[in-house]
Amino acid sequence: MAICAVYTATNPIFQTTKPNFGFHQKHEVIFYTRKERSRRWEKRKLSCSAEAKTVVIGLAADSGCGKSTFMRRLTSVFGGAAEPPKGGNPDSNTLISDTTTVICLDDYHSLDRTGRKEKGVTALDPRANNFDLMYEQVKAIKDGIAVDKPIYNHVTGLLDPPELIQPPKILVIEGLHPMYDSRVRDLLDFSIYLDISNEVKFAWKIQRDMAERGHSLESIKASIEARKPDFDAYIDPQKQYADAVIEVLPTELIPDDNEGKVLRVKLVMKEGVKYFSPVYLFDEGSTISWIPCGRKLTCSYPGIKFAYGPDSYYSHEVSVLEMDGQFDRLDELIYVESHLSNISTKFYGEVTQQMLKHADFPGSNNGTGLFQTIIGLKIRDLYEQLVAEKAAAPVEAAKV
Amino acid sequence: MAATLTGMSIFTTGVVPKPEIQKQVSISSWRTFTGYKAGRIALGRVSASGPTTPSNISNKVTESIKNAEEMCSEDPASGECVAAWDEVEELSAAASHARDKLKENSDPLEKYCKDNPETDECRTYDN
Repeated sequence: MAICAVYTATNPIFQTTKPNFGFHQKHEVIFYTRKERSRRWEKRKLSCSAEAKTVVIGLAADSGCGKSTFMRRLTSVFGGAAEPPKGGNPDSNTLISDTTTVICLDDYHSLDRTGRKEKGVTALDPRANNFDLMYEQVKAIKDGIAVDKPIYNHVTGLLDPPELIQPPKILVIEGLHPMYDSRVRDLLDFSIYLDISNEVKFAWKIQRDMAERGHSLESIKASIEARKPDFDAYIDPQKQYADAVIEVLPTELIPDDNEGKVLRVKLVMKEGVKYFSPVYLFDEGSTISWIPCGRKLTCSYPGIKFAYGPDSYYSHEVSVLEMDGQFDRLDELIYVESHLSNISTKFYGEVTQQMLKHADFPGSNNGTGLFQTIIGLKIRDLYEQLVAEKAAAPVEAAKV
Repeated sequence: MAATLTGMSIFTTGVVPKPEIQKQVSISSWRTFTGYKAGRIALGRVSASGPTTPSNISNKVTESIKNAEEMCSEDPASGECVAAWDEVEELSAAASHARDKLKENSDPLEKYCKDNPETDECRTYDN
């Protein structure tokens, strides 16, 4: 909220308090005053701006690893559905809601599909991406300046004419390389990496592609294997910079399970990140193994198992929360939620409510949905703290 | 069995039953129960449960797979081969997103209410 006031020598003559919808917009009001017994109108200009910058969140993951689902959960936590820009390119990759704009970093491809084919490089290769432009535009948005962002068309493989991106309250940059370039990385207020194990990646891509004409188990496998060296070289190393990592692994509850249906999911949370205090189970900093299913709660096969404790991740101090198994009933989910602390909910059962609201999204009954929702709540919390801090800073009001 | 399933994929394009049930068919159970070939048929049911990929993207996916297989028969370690399989991934992801979009827009009332949430037919009341 911006508060602006203009004073004459003695009395305030004009005061306005208005909700700051534009967030960045500089409010300028021109008004006229007439001094007592004077015929002359005096022109005065009032200008004030809330210098709250756009909060920038980075989300890194490989193609087909759940970025879109995560984005839908995240924007839902902030309220209001995220939609493609109205009246724009139907193949735009951008999503806009009241608070949040999500941009896809594929839009910063420097080589289009033909260019990559000719040079023999994948989209994972930094040579196929324009990090200078990515940095310039993310920085501009963070500073409150609208940019003309290119659009990479995933159907045609071409770069379409650009679209105008206005600075939102929260900007999410999602894609293969949000933490690859150190300049872009430094602009991030919070970063997340979705780390999908090879077994699960394979299972997910089979689910996604097997129905597609032309695909077979062989083609799905060949595509994963061909991309793996570049993935290992350029995408995977980014997880060391992430503030939160969601690791998705096969279950350990069913011996030798490789179906990729029941999942073991770990939420790795960096310690010492400003405005982000990790979630914990029962006792912060202790090592805990918890099977909620027993006398008080009966669970469906194969049950649910939690683990929590301090650990080290790429020589960073972290807290790790792990969930193996899946929720088959509502009382299992609410029981688990009530035993977690520091989840940044605004009311009892908010996590459960979010999970039920999007029960049709993939992973709504397991740790991927649970941890994505929790990270969404933590980001909302981080955003609110950042805004509160900015609001505490002195508001400038200028008199001309 | 195969005939019935093919029929499903033709006649149910507009309707979207719960895809969850289909997704739970597991890889290993396909292999165990039906063998590899029959497994492909069972997988065909996934498409029957949701919208099919728009044909322009679907054709591109098929074409890109053929192209990748050709490229790699010459030199499997070449950049061209890797780039070709990367294109397959990109198009497969695009196909999946296109299907999701179709699914979202498949209910005309839902679509209308997304743009006009304040109208009488779109209001929802709690309690």
